[in-house]
Amino acid sequence: MAQPLTTASVPTDIYGGDEVSALVLDAGYCQTRAGFAGEDVPKSVLPSFYGAIKDTSAASGSRNVFGEDFIYARPDFEVKNYMSRTESVVEDWDTAVQVWESMLLERLQPERRQTQPSKNGLNDGADGEGDVSMEDAATSAENAENAEKPLAESPLLMTEAPWNQGKAREKAIEIAMENWGCPAFWLSRTPVCAAFAAGKASALVVDVGGANTSVTAVHDGMILKRSIQKSHVGGLWLSSQIRSMFDSSDPKIEPSHPPQTQLRPPSSYRAYEDERLLTEYKESVVEVWRGPGRYSNPGNEDLVKTQPGRIFEMPDGSNQMWREQRFRVSEGMWDETAQLPTASEEERITKAQTVPELIRACLNAVDVDLRPNLLGNIVVTGGTSLLNGFNDRLNNELMGMYPGMRVKLHAAGLTTERRFGSWIGGSILASLGTFHQMWISKRSTTRMVPALSRNAASKGFLKSWRLRIDGAWTPKKKSR
Amino acid sequence: MTSHDVREMLNLPTEGGGSRPAKKQKTSIARQNLKGLAREVQNLGGDNPIAIVPEISSFKKRRFGSRKPAARWEMRPFRNSARGDESLILRHWRRKTDVQPTPPQPEQQQNGQPNEDKMDADKGESKPEEIEDSSFAKFNVKVDVPQYSEDQYNSTLVNNDWTKDETDYLMDAVREYDLRWPIIWDRYDYQSKDGDASTESNTAVVQARKARTLEDLKARYYEVAAKMMGVQRPVQYMNQAEFSLHEIMVNFKPEDETRRKKFAEAQMGRSKEEAREEESLLLEVRRILARTEKFNQERRELYNRLDYPTTETTQDLSTFKTSNGLHTLLQNLMTADKSKKRKSLMGTDGQSTPASAGPSAQPGSTPLAEQRRESIAASASGHGHGRHDSNASTDTRAEKPTKKGAQAPERRKLTEQEELTYGVSTHDRLPSGPTFRYDRINKILTTKSNAQHARITNTLNELDVPARLTMPTKAVVDQMEHLLVNIQTLLDLKKLSDKFDAEIKLEKAKKAEKDKAAGIVPQPAAAESAAKGGSNGETAKENVAASKDGKKAGGGAASSSTATTEKPAAGEGTNGEKDGPNKGGEQAAAEKPADGNPGADDKKAAAKEAQEATNGVKQENNTGEEKEERPSSSGGQKRSASVLSSVSDKSAKRQKK
Repeated sequence: MAQPLTTASVPTDIYGGDEVSALVLDAGYCQTRAGFAGEDVPKSVLPSFYGAIKDTSAASGSRNVFGEDFIYARPDFEVKNYMSRTESVVEDWDTAVQVWESMLLERLQPERRQTQPSKNGLNDGADGEGDVSMEDAATSAENAENAEKPLAESPLLMTEAPWNQGKAREKAIEIAMENWGCPAFWLSRTPVCAAFAAGKASALVVDVGGANTSVTAVHDGMILKRSIQKSHVGGLWLSSQIRSMFDSSDPKIEPSHPPQTQLRPPSSYRAYEDERLLTEYKESVVEVWRGPGRYSNPGNEDLVKTQPGRIFEMPDGSNQMWREQRFRVSEGMWDETAQLPTASEEERITKAQTVPELIRACLNAVDVDLRPNLLGNIVVTGGTSLLNGFNDRLNNELMGMYPGMRVKLHAAGLTTERRFGSWIGGSILASLGTFHQMWISKRSTTRMVPALSRNAASKGFLKSWRLRIDGAWTPKKKSR
Repeated sequence: MTSHDVREMLNLPTEGGGSRPAKKQKTSIARQNLKGLAREVQNLGGDNPIAIVPEISSFKKRRFGSRKPAARWEMRPFRNSARGDESLILRHWRRKTDVQPTPPQPEQQQNGQPNEDKMDADKGESKPEEIEDSSFAKFNVKVDVPQYSEDQYNSTLVNNDWTKDETDYLMDAVREYDLRWPIIWDRYDYQSKDGDASTESNTAVVQARKARTLEDLKARYYEVAAKMMGVQRPVQYMNQAEFSLHEIMVNFKPEDETRRKKFAEAQMGRSKEEAREEESLLLEVRRILARTEKFNQERRELYNRLDYPTTETTQDLSTFKTSNGLHTLLQNLMTADKSKKRKSLMGTDGQSTPASAGPSAQPGSTPLAEQRRESIAASASGHGHGRHDSNASTDTRAEKPTKKGAQAPERRKLTEQEELTYGVSTHDRLPSGPTFRYDRINKILTTKSNAQHARITNTLNELDVPARLTMPTKAVVDQMEHLLVNIQTLLDLKKLSDKFDAEIKLEKAKKAEKDKAAGIVPQPAAAESAAKGGSNGETAKENVAASKDGKKAGGGAASSSTATTEKPAAGEGTNGEKDGPNKGGEQAAAEKPADGNPGADDKKAAAKEAQEATNGVKQENNTGEEKEERPSSSGGQKRSASVLSSVSDKSAKRQKK
């Protein structure tokens, strides 16, 4: 007797949702994700890498193209990233605004910028580069009348790294309020969002991302600042391990060969393409030794050698069977003595930077009463956590570290939920009815942002605002 | 029963028809509703509606036909009154309403009225003044944080460790984070205002920032909160909830918390082995607990089986001090005894475990009851004495209640300690009127003949015991009595042994004479040895003696046999002899018939025995050497024990015989 819900009954009482057509933006070093609140995957996912084409006519000397489709070898081309590799926070604010506008304004709300078909470049066919209007987001000066208040109707929720600085926050709110005219804005920390995505208000969030791995304790929807642990053991570090393995192998393996054309792509482009290849390699070959014990323990490697390996075919057609190597590259995440020698000294990790030690340090920095609860609510998120065997190993390490405690990992089964965990959490958050009281409204910011940027006299006000921005509420369970 | 009923039962059509038209109508109506089925098929179901639902093929058409006009939705602005600023107006999709908007429940109205547009226009006009409030605003709850004014702070809340500024900061943080202490502690970052306002004093700038622990923060907050509670309403006027809250806050001990956390931390940092060990220990504890549980249950079962009266002596005894109380207790015990007997009988019937059923499986459970009664009697008569075993004549006392049987009421058993403290003593028969304890001793002595009296006093003198007691307490009198009885038996035995010695000598002399007459060379040495120690020889001699001068020594033998049978009993039982030697004599006399001495008057026998005893003693005095051989005067108890053992040997031999 499944009676369909009548359209008149808005199911607010079920999950506490109250859509206000909010947008959610989650920027990371490898990817930037944007979408509508209340949905379960971001509508638009772009690499945070962008192409800068030398253009003497532009003020900055180059024009930028965004999106995977536009990053290809062409003359006078550089691949850059607007985020900071070490911090996963915005480094290049000018480009960040461009990237975000191209996502929030053009990709999410394409009807806003419908130009005349005669002018939109689709029918030119002159340079054959496809959709120009998507490409030159920076040259949106002619759309000034639209750009006045491009987001006047949509509240915007952005995520930020837990170690984000106050200055960066002010900048973000300034852009959202003044450039885009958002009626309401909010900045939420990624671990909080990831915990919400897992349906938990209190959790120990282990976020193994592309550039960084962070371990943060979240209590009642707020991060504990003293517990934040960060290390560069992430996807890029793993790639560097694979590279050094390739280099040391005989014969030496080149992920991508230099092209045999006159067009010499820049090294940044090659690095970007290499990274794409290595990502595929990581997805299909690399595995984490599941434990118990370390991979370097005697007997483990012999066991692995007897197991069937995996074949990976390089772009040049060569292929190889990988057996024990695929375990060896990932072992450095857990055991710093097992990491492969790397070219740059920055890539080296210390014992304190391995994943189990991060968790230990994080737990040691929180109140002892919270620790059992945190250990029972460990949320694993981030794309690199999708490595084969990662959760098993993490579980084994934690059981070894805290033998008497109940350790429970919560890792989403769907790859999208793992990759976009913090975006999904933000999406849940921004669509909650109880969240409306948290939004920072435009009027309050227009009063305070100039003051904030001009002088530091209003420190108290800023402080109270910072207090507010950390949020205090408990989310309803996600129900989709 | 009419034919109509039969037909109804068999579900046949009625003859007359029309008797129950209602039923027919009903079925026909139901059948008409079912379309698309052949009539025959429908008839198969009889009165019951058929379970096959005919397929209706007009799905699309019907849906299309029944479609209502599409619901209209609109972006409706709303505000959230929980916000600090009411300026933020967000918009969400809501179903368009046709009636004048009543903000609390706008969705409940139905649309589809022709005047919708007009109403909408009305609403559009009235929109600016009424923007609905978010239904989620009610979820905004805030904690109550104590408020205090400047004066209140100065009067009650001053603390050396905390400035007012920092206290304010703490209160703000508590309000901000809704009392989530881990977060408050995590974000607590108080910078002293003195740093900014350095004009006030230079020393204040130097003041270092203190690292506050979570316990510090909690302690300060609870202190402030408790004091402000006390200020608003004095402690004595608080209601229960307030008072308990106040108590909790006042009793907060940061040191205890710190210690507890240290323990918790140590517990977390255990190694694998420690964890395993603890686990195994916990397992062991659980097992032990389970075992004690089982043990307790078994014990309870046992107690139930015994129907043991409750032993909360401290509370119970006060009610039993009065005679009334004692009476009720007696009644209770009697009823308990009766019910117990019935239960135990039933229990043996229904019992399946042989071990538990074993002891009480005897019919009527007499051994158990008897045993208990005996123990009660023993403790009742034997209070105040450590050694019950060496006392005399309790066996008869113990026998009496058993002879009386079940009608002897069960008494609540007091321990000896209690009997001492409460001065409880039981008597079989009480002499009328008060008596002096001293009289009891005197009675023993005065009832004896002069010679006996003299001998007893002699022995007492030998033992350095004064004949007249200086402090005749109960215990002393009992002991004295006991001593006198023992002396008496000792003297009797002496007399007996003397008599036997005399007889042996006589027989020896006779034998020597006979041998002389027969011309056989006598062997006096062998005879001597046989007479002294050799048990076989002695018994043989005694047999001979007993058989030979049966007439002469008949009474004496009888009396000696009673004495010997009496002795072991005296050894076993407690001293029930306090009633005096007369009584003991009577008892001995009472036993005599059982020994098979018919028609012997006990009084005469006793007198005779006494005479013979005196004679024997006289003889014994004459033959002084022999007396020296035996341990005669080295102390009442020891001697009596040795005598007893020798006598019991003799009695055993006699029984063999």
